[in-house]
Amino acid sequence: MPRAIRGVLIECDPSIKSIIVNIDSVNHDFIIEDLDEERVVVKENMVQLLKQKLEDRLKENLPPVDESGSE
Amino acid sequence: MSINPSLSLAEYLERLPGTTFKKLYQQPSTTFAIFRRMLPHLAKTFVMRMLFLPHPMTLADLDAWVKPEAKRKKDQSLSILRSLHIVQISAPSKEKPQEIQLMSNFKRSLRLALTGGGNHNSFGVPSSLMVPPEIDLPFLDRYARKKWEDVLHFVVSSVGYKSSLGEGSGPNKGVKELLIAGQLVDRRPNGSLGITQAGFTFLLQEANAQVWTLLLLWLEVLGNNKSSGLDPVDMLSFLFMLASLELGRAYDTNALTEERRNMLPSLVDFGLIYIPQHKRSMFFPTRLATTLTSGGNSLRTISEGSLGLLGGGGTGEQAGSVVIETNYRLYAYTQSALQIAVLALFAKLNMRFPDMVAGRLSRASIRQAINFGITADQIISYLSAHAHEQMHRTAALTNKPVLPPTVVDQIRLWQLENERMKTTSGFLFRDFTDDKDYLDTARFSEEIGVLVWRNDNTRMFFANKHEQIKDFLKSRKKAE
Repeated sequence: MPRAIRGVLIECDPSIKSIIVNIDSVNHDFIIEDLDEERVVVKENMVQLLKQKLEDRLKENLPPVDESGSE
Repeated sequence: MSINPSLSLAEYLERLPGTTFKKLYQQPSTTFAIFRRMLPHLAKTFVMRMLFLPHPMTLADLDAWVKPEAKRKKDQSLSILRSLHIVQISAPSKEKPQEIQLMSNFKRSLRLALTGGGNHNSFGVPSSLMVPPEIDLPFLDRYARKKWEDVLHFVVSSVGYKSSLGEGSGPNKGVKELLIAGQLVDRRPNGSLGITQAGFTFLLQEANAQVWTLLLLWLEVLGNNKSSGLDPVDMLSFLFMLASLELGRAYDTNALTEERRNMLPSLVDFGLIYIPQHKRSMFFPTRLATTLTSGGNSLRTISEGSLGLLGGGGTGEQAGSVVIETNYRLYAYTQSALQIAVLALFAKLNMRFPDMVAGRLSRASIRQAINFGITADQIISYLSAHAHEQMHRTAALTNKPVLPPTVVDQIRLWQLENERMKTTSGFLFRDFTDDKDYLDTARFSEEIGVLVWRNDNTRMFFANKHEQIKDFLKSRKKAE
């Protein structure tokens, strides 16, 4: 009998996906199913937290873009 | 209970149980409104062709109406018709072919709506009293615009530029509380009100969708509150009735049931109807109400035109006031607090003159907007809809697009930088017993248009809705 699991499908670049997998590897509380290179299914209630963690992770690694230009 | 603020009418209706639809379809006006507003063309054609059939017809006959290459469209139409409880399809069995027919309530009411007759009064009872001469179409339009701008002002005023209006001139207290309950604005710890992500999305919707968003919120809030004594189903059919009334005509309040009369004050607050001070027994639907179910949008919107709802006249700002340069500087020739507040959502405004504001688009300002839930496309379409005449003229002379391409591209790039992933909520289907089972179910969900992703190797697929797939699986199980 097939099963239906509620979740959120996330489609993104492979690089972003690997960060998501990495975030999940701490507690394994985000990912329901790892589908392929660019897709994972994540628990619905964790999406917001995941977005935030991803943002933090990206901030660590990318220097902020210089805001040049006069006002 | 939390309320989903971005609920559209279609989603709201789909969640209603079948018994509710039975009640709704007792009213010809409701039936007609749902037919007019909710169905795609093909579904309308099906309904019209089946409307006067005395007996159910077989599904095979229906298939003959549709070209084979449009099967997908046909299946989607049928799926909508079923989810709105408009048609009934008999269960597949060996002895008899599958048959389709309109639900009896729906059929009766739609016939009544089209041919007239009956004493259901579901299209309103015109008032027999003298209509005050000062109440004409422009008056009603002005009135509706004022009321609706008050609501928008209230949503927007919590950001950036404070509107110059005082506390007292905003929308009614009930409306404010509704906006808070719907999380379009929320109360910050310090007591002030702040706009939420849902609020931004609301603001950039077309006017018609805005009205529905607010009305559905209202239905949900009252529906959750049993003590209000109002029945959401009756309220919904009242709204559909309002939508079928004629603009500029007076209707009799005494012909309404008491529950419906109790709804009138709230509808006045939203600007959907107008009740003259000295003649309380009549009401006028405004354009906000009469366009509720028309597919087209007769109200101009914030994203495609000026906010002055019905265009022309009044105090509304003029369309075409924004100049944007290739260096991301932005100038807007406007005095409208509302427009300035909207611009402040995604631009850093740093100078204000009596009839102009100047500012700049920056990565930070666009990023802030995107964090609030506004998309780059919304911003771009807002800018191009509001582009100053001079921008159009230069563009025509030099044969270039109206907005500087560098700016447009950059706004999109800024969004990409933030929107690293695309999310779709729904259901993952897996653990199919065999290939055939999987392929059939996946094909079925593709045909009814809910399939988002599939992988035949792992026998998994992702769909954004599951109700009909469940039914499909059940009926398969039975058939085995």
